[in-house]
Amino acid sequence: MRWIWIDKFVEFVPKQSAVAVKNVSLAEEYLHDLYPAFPIMPHTLIIEGMAQTAGILVGEARNFSEKVILAKIGKAVFHRLVRPGETLAYRARIDQLSETGASVSGTVRLGLQSDGPVVAEIELMFSHIDKNLAGAQFPEHNFVFTRQFTELLQSYRAAANITL
Amino acid sequence: MAISKDAIYEKVQGVLVDALGVDEEEVTPEATLREDLGAESIDFLDIVFRLEKAFTTDPAKPFKIPRGELFPENLPAMMSDEQFVKDGRITPLGSEELKKRMPFADFAEFDKNPTVQGAQNLLNVQTVVNYINSKLNG
Amino acid sequence: MKFNLIDKIESISDSRLVALKYVSLAEEYLADHFPTFPVLPGVLMLEAITQAAGWLLHRNHNFARSIAVLKEARNVKYGTFVAPGNCLRVEVDVIKLTEDGGSFKASATVNGQVAVSARVELAYVNVSAAQPELAEIDRRLAAHNRDRWNLLSQQMVQL
Repeated sequence: MRWIWIDKFVEFVPKQSAVAVKNVSLAEEYLHDLYPAFPIMPHTLIIEGMAQTAGILVGEARNFSEKVILAKIGKAVFHRLVRPGETLAYRARIDQLSETGASVSGTVRLGLQSDGPVVAEIELMFSHIDKNLAGAQFPEHNFVFTRQFTELLQSYRAAANITL
Repeated sequence: MAISKDAIYEKVQGVLVDALGVDEEEVTPEATLREDLGAESIDFLDIVFRLEKAFTTDPAKPFKIPRGELFPENLPAMMSDEQFVKDGRITPLGSEELKKRMPFADFAEFDKNPTVQGAQNLLNVQTVVNYINSKLNG
Repeated sequence: MKFNLIDKIESISDSRLVALKYVSLAEEYLADHFPTFPVLPGVLMLEAITQAAGWLLHRNHNFARSIAVLKEARNVKYGTFVAPGNCLRVEVDVIKLTEDGGSFKASATVNGQVAVSARVELAYVNVSAAQPELAEIDRRLAAHNRDRWNLLSQQMVQL
């Protein structure tokens, strides 16, 4: 399994907001572990989807020069269970961005409609750990923004529909 | 239009309740941010962000808290500098340095017994209120 | 990947549970998080907390319901990184238990250092609550939960 919890960006306004989607598929193995007879998307992985959407938004805002790490989940409130075959839309917005970190809030909905059913409301804080050392030890190079993430943004910008 | 110290206190209280997940009753003027209210590194950034939002009345002229002005950075580094701290007590040079970095804090209690713990206790709710007041009302 | 974030339950009482999660380089997601600096993702620490709290609910209700889901997480703060070869010790304390779930205060440490602290609220539900014809699913899930519990609690201390 890959640690990627969004499938693509459908909207990206640099330094402001982004919308990414994820399809929940029965083929995903982890869905069958906790509740085998009733697969549901784990809520913590929904938080991760928002964290990845928001993390790329915050990272891009400073040209991926910072090591953007999830430091705090102010709140994550869930309103409904998510089942296979559903599409999640993560809408994230940067509330504050500074040298040392950022705060982001967002809403997760079912489907692409901006007024679709709300799955969750999430508030996150990221730390730019090079600026906010707090005694942790980590590599000097930027280990956070791997090709996996930067390619997501590239795909969005190069949205080509290739018909055969 | 000047904002009263009481109004500032109320807003600061609201910010701390939201940022730290504590009850309103816990946010008293003497409550220390670290010890009493459980604030950690990331919380200080959260508090700064929320204060900036709470005290911005005109989006064209946002209320900004310059980095390190309210919550001095490098305090841990300072605490391990022998010039400023010796045997858990703050030296006169250290006291001077603290007063320079946190002119809005109330040093009365600290001066009676200048320990490292005393220095950490300087960061309490009243200190935050004093800081905001000095920024807004000059 | 197996989405079971608790490897062993160390101890349990009516109001507290201590569980362990071992982190191994064999865990697939570490290859992506991050390739040059593998560390346990923060949300999986939260998942470990959620599952630990879920076990407290199952035990307190004697597996009466089949699903313990995260309803709300608040003030989740991350501290030290958790690298492979380490053990995450998860401690969950009950704040309040109700018929439909509960709220908990939790923290997880690695080598004595705090990796995460959080407040969580879980909902304890049956699939058949709104649709009685689905009772069979609840029966299957309850059996699955009990089997899982038996595996995890083999060396558990009852306090």
